[in-house]
Amino acid sequence: MSPFAYLRPASLDEAIAAGGDGQARFVAGGTNLLDLMKIDVEQPAAIIDINRLPLAAIEATPAGLRIGALARMSDVAIHPAIARDYPVVAQALLASASPQLRNMASIGGNLMQRTRCTYFRDTACACNKRQPGSGCSAIPGENRRHAVLGVSSACIAVHPSDLAVALVALDASLRLRSREGERSVPLDAFYRLPGTTPQQENVLRPGELIVAVDLPASAAARRSRYLKIRDRASFEFALVSAAVGLEIADGTIRDARLALGGVGTKPWRARQAESGLVGKMAGDEAFTAAADAALQGAQPQGQNRYKIDLAKRTLARALGEAAGGAET
Amino acid sequence: MESILPCGSGLLPDAALQPIPEVGMPAPDFSLPGVGKRPIRLRDFRGHPVILAFAPPGWDPGSAEQMAVLNQAAAGLLPDSVRLVGIAMDGPWCSLAVEGEDALRFPLLRDFDPAGGVAHRYGVYGKRAVIVIDGEGILRWKAVMANGILPRPELVADALRAIAPAGEGILAMNRRQFLLCALAASVVLHLWPDSAHAETPAGAPAAPAPKPLPPQARHVTLKVNGAEHALALDTRVTLLDALREHIGLTGTKKGCDQGSCGACTVLADGRRIKSCLTLAAMEEGKAIVTIEGLAQGERLHPMQAAFIKHDAFQCGYCTPGQIMAAVALVREGHAGSEEEIREWMSGNLCRCGAYPNIVTAIREAAAEAKT
Repeated sequence: MSPFAYLRPASLDEAIAAGGDGQARFVAGGTNLLDLMKIDVEQPAAIIDINRLPLAAIEATPAGLRIGALARMSDVAIHPAIARDYPVVAQALLASASPQLRNMASIGGNLMQRTRCTYFRDTACACNKRQPGSGCSAIPGENRRHAVLGVSSACIAVHPSDLAVALVALDASLRLRSREGERSVPLDAFYRLPGTTPQQENVLRPGELIVAVDLPASAAARRSRYLKIRDRASFEFALVSAAVGLEIADGTIRDARLALGGVGTKPWRARQAESGLVGKMAGDEAFTAAADAALQGAQPQGQNRYKIDLAKRTLARALGEAAGGAET
Repeated sequence: MESILPCGSGLLPDAALQPIPEVGMPAPDFSLPGVGKRPIRLRDFRGHPVILAFAPPGWDPGSAEQMAVLNQAAAGLLPDSVRLVGIAMDGPWCSLAVEGEDALRFPLLRDFDPAGGVAHRYGVYGKRAVIVIDGEGILRWKAVMANGILPRPELVADALRAIAPAGEGILAMNRRQFLLCALAASVVLHLWPDSAHAETPAGAPAAPAPKPLPPQARHVTLKVNGAEHALALDTRVTLLDALREHIGLTGTKKGCDQGSCGACTVLADGRRIKSCLTLAAMEEGKAIVTIEGLAQGERLHPMQAAFIKHDAFQCGYCTPGQIMAAVALVREGHAGSEEEIREWMSGNLCRCGAYPNIVTAIREAAAEAKT
């Protein structure tokens, strides 16, 4: 680990001032940042410990809920309003990491976590995300776990967060704070596709800090489900996951939310598949058609072709479970 | 009078700011706990080239299953007429058995914790590294790699050049130097056995990193098992390393050091966390409880007693972390069924496979806690 200055600002304004030049990193749980610092993928000159700032509250708003960026994954997962009105969020959180890591990791940090691509994490390998212009080792290499949607010739790394998939499905947005003030950005628009600049993963400006997540309430959020498929039963990243929400009246779908994890270079919202569902009778036929639509345009590499079928089945099954009546 | 830095010592702020020795500079002295009472000091080996290996605990170059890897790596470097037939460790001495020749002995100091004081002093904190010091006490070669990095063939060539006499080619080296260098290269390759034969993918090499800051020191007060400890720590020190290396509470274990294995689990303000993925400075002000803080005097915590009763471990290395996680699990109310216990213990690995007994112990301790 390279040496760094450790700063512990006493207020949000101080933190924003300290983060100004982009050479520093904000740290909350530290579970991803410290891991990456130990392997020299991250070498910040300073880290800004924001854990003592009052940003951990979960509050009701007229539109839904506001989750403070420093709320911990374990606390959000068991919050009564989350479990009741946004089950997909609670399920995605409980399917993430391990109990110890969920106690440490913050909501803001979860959304900022870096890809698990092994070439990104290995500083001896070429990686356009870590070292722009050096090439992509995954495209000709081991890519069983890599993305099939949103890929470019520069990068096929998967976005690793489960939570982000659930939040993108529910139209969550982020409150971002910088020296210029505060702004709101839809989470789906927050993440960028890799294109030719995979090192730019989001629209965060240098020194800008996520302070909260705004989660709008909806009937689809109340009837929602997260289904995660992985190589082992627990404590593992997704091969494929699906976050779905449905509003159904008299057997007819009024509103549908679909997002996929483990297959995209960003949390993958499937809007076209959603609009295809609206007005249809809830059932296997509609769900299978939606799953096919969601994977339109998928581009497999050497070893990850299986993800296309797996994602379709996962999505169709999640829709079936969400429609099944149980609002769990 | 040179100052001697004990292995694993706390680094005082001024020590942290001493320059890191580069190739060609005198190697700073240090002492290691020796066999018996007498510590081993680097200066004791003056006259012999010395290899320092900063490797995971338990690494043994002489063990049978590792000989094949070492021999394979050395084979490519040694002349055809020289065949390495064995490596044995006798305290700090490494003995190379060579077919038809007398054994070659030289010091190989290998029990360095990558997070200890010597690693700090040599600028390889948290890294896997091999350092070669010549008989005059001058640092001659340093190979540093972060975990998970592929070794590069150039490293071996660098090592050969480092030991070759000035102005002469590699072939001018005598056989002893050559063997030593071959062993050093083998050691480096061996430290990453899985990746030693992997190809380094094509692409432009990484740009040189900007010159790093000097190490930064900070005063940190930690509250552990009810006692306060005022420490002067490098900012990079994790809670785990602070507990083990600076406070001396070695019950909390370092397994993977990357949040995967759970051996380092402790409680912070009553919540279970992985102490390897948080900085000591970040945990200031919290009440930390380690495995040493569970028993009441001679009376074991019920979870400790249940682990013993049900034989819930074999080698015991993961056990402190398992017990700390299990104590938290019961408080969280996740001991309802065997399935639930397994899911909520998934952050703790046991390579001996004691899982069935661990689950049984937790069920019993949880049932007792209710009554």
